[in-house]
Amino acid sequence: MSQAVADRQETEERQTVGGRFARLMDMGDGALAFWLLLPTAVLLLAIIVYPVCRLIYTSFLSLSLTSGLPASFAGLQNYRDMFADPVFWSSFWNTVIITVVTVPGALVVGMALALIANIPFRQRWAFRLALLVPWALPLAFCGLIFAWFFQSDYGIVNDVLRRLGLPTVIWFNSYAWATVAICLTTIWKTSSFMALIILAGLQTIPRSLYEAAEIDGAGRVRQFFEITLPLLRPAIAVALIFRTITALQTFDIPYTMTRGGPGTSTVTLAMYIRQNTVDFLDLGYGSALAVAMFALSMIVTVFYLRMIRRGA
Amino acid sequence: MATVSFCDLRKSFGAIEAVKGLDLEVADREFVVLVGPSGCGKSTTLRMLAGLEGISGGEIRIGDTVVNALPPRARDIAMVFQDYALYPHKTVYDNMAFSLRVRGIAKPEIESRIREAATMLDIDKLLERKPAQLSGGQRQRVAMGRAIVRRPKVFLFDEPLSNLDAKLRGQVRAEIKKLHQMIGTTIIYVTHDQVEAMTLADRIVILRGGVIEQVGTPDEVYDTPASLFVGGFVGSPAMNFVRAKRDGEELVLDGGERMAVCDLGPRAERVGQEIVLGIRPEHFVSSGDAPARLTGTVNLVEPLGADTLVHLDVEGATVTARVTPHFRPAVGERLPLGFDPARIHLFDPDSEKAVA
Ligand SMILES: Nc1ncnc2c1ncn2[C@@H]1O[C@H](COP(=O)(O)OP(=O)(O)O)[C@@H](O)[C@H]1O
Ligand SMILES: [Mg+2]
Repeated sequence: MSQAVADRQETEERQTVGGRFARLMDMGDGALAFWLLLPTAVLLLAIIVYPVCRLIYTSFLSLSLTSGLPASFAGLQNYRDMFADPVFWSSFWNTVIITVVTVPGALVVGMALALIANIPFRQRWAFRLALLVPWALPLAFCGLIFAWFFQSDYGIVNDVLRRLGLPTVIWFNSYAWATVAICLTTIWKTSSFMALIILAGLQTIPRSLYEAAEIDGAGRVRQFFEITLPLLRPAIAVALIFRTITALQTFDIPYTMTRGGPGTSTVTLAMYIRQNTVDFLDLGYGSALAVAMFALSMIVTVFYLRMIRRGA
Repeated sequence: MATVSFCDLRKSFGAIEAVKGLDLEVADREFVVLVGPSGCGKSTTLRMLAGLEGISGGEIRIGDTVVNALPPRARDIAMVFQDYALYPHKTVYDNMAFSLRVRGIAKPEIESRIREAATMLDIDKLLERKPAQLSGGQRQRVAMGRAIVRRPKVFLFDEPLSNLDAKLRGQVRAEIKKLHQMIGTTIIYVTHDQVEAMTLADRIVILRGGVIEQVGTPDEVYDTPASLFVGGFVGSPAMNFVRAKRDGEELVLDGGERMAVCDLGPRAERVGQEIVLGIRPEHFVSSGDAPARLTGTVNLVEPLGADTLVHLDVEGATVTARVTPHFRPAVGERLPLGFDPARIHLFDPDSEKAVA
């Protein structure tokens, strides 16, 4: 860049609204930035940093409202209890299984839906509208509907199996089938979110790239793997991060479908936290569980961020 | 290397007829430019040739093959897009290698073709970069490089210079011409810019509303425009049109000057009651010894250094004259401009065709 151009750019920067305001208030750009960021910083402190610190603090307390005892410092006792608690471990693994199954599942289904929604056909608007429905439904509502779908006597799923001459399943009587039902429901519910983000990504890919590839001799499959997929990378990363975090917090669908049953076999981490804090009023132990979930989310987020940075 | 021929080529988008029966033969190694105002069907024609757009009627041949039903990849053409359409996630090298890899060409061969093209286009230092790290002109070259390595039968260019600034445009234009001289492949090139068309083309095809107005060498379309439209489209500043009415053996020009019909030479017999004179700005001479004159009021003088443009008002119409550099008439002055009747163009006001 020539010196003249650089100078002009600098004067232009000085003439931005912020620059003018800074001079008006007789402060440097740094000071201006500080004051502009302050409200947001305070807000974040109040609604994120403080609750998280408070949560971690509580997890070191013995604080059970049913015991009638005052809160006392318990050190790592809650964590020791947690690691010795079989329900914690089963809820942990349930959460991991739901995440590992439904996140890639929703990605694949969502990708397929997005690709269909991006094909120019006359009824496309109707398809796109339909795509919004599962996304717009409340999770709990969705869980209730699917609980009926999987109901063993009147449910539509068993009805279809019967008509196909296949054996029916008593879905909510076994841990394995209940988990299958929960995962299928979750994939149905969350694929549309994946599809919407991927569709937005697809629409940013210029058509001329496909035309160039067409002329270069690449077929459909090759175009997908050499153009679509690499260019969707940022959209997929965003969708995966959001979806994984919400999968780790899975609550509504299993809660409304199985209530954690049979027994406590399909309880997830989020359900177990709720049970301990709301039903048992054991705030200390509940907080320790919540810290575990927070740690899990952080690990996953850091993992994804690294992946993105490596790709960029 | 191949010829290209269009036979009664048609394209409709619903009710819109974008191309209305185009006939054209392009010779092997020829550089043909399709030129015309925006929306005249240039891109549509090129895209039909590339196979990116279906054909509503007629026939396209590349060499001896009718390509109507062939997909783009089977037509052995390469195209440079207006937005370059470089793959943003691939390096320059991989952009150029893509079509060769797809066709299963061996690695060493790919490598040597890319080196060769990159050297020719002076992008050999940029091979590891991504398109986002290139300037507009560099991207343009990479797009050309991607086309060259293919060694296709025909190159197609769709307004490849329109995203460059004026200076770069002139430079790259010269390079495209050199490139054609070097590799000799048939080129069909689309632009709305008549200067580009004139400087590049072996032959120019002037399109208007989906119809060919004229086909000819740059000299032909400049010297003998077939219609009012071509006359006005080719040349810069544009040709002036002056209406004239016949009065016996004389023509009365707008602005009141008279001239003898017989001065128009053999064309005189075909001059009807009304006629449009086409006079190029560069064909005005000093009025003193000229056989014919046009008079108007000076309303703008633009000194350009090498020459001066004088804009006159002639009964509400603007007439532009290119005159010697130091001639500076005053604004508001009544100025007579001389011209040679043998050099002007005549058009029939109803059919808009040239009277030859
Ligand atoms: N995909 C399309 N659908 C409908 N009309 C189109 C389409 N592509 C081009 N047209 C119309 O066809 C005509 C020619 O367009 P085009 O070939 O792009 O013109 P240009 O000469 O500017 O390249 C225009 O009227 C344009 O609006
Ligand atoms: Mg165009």
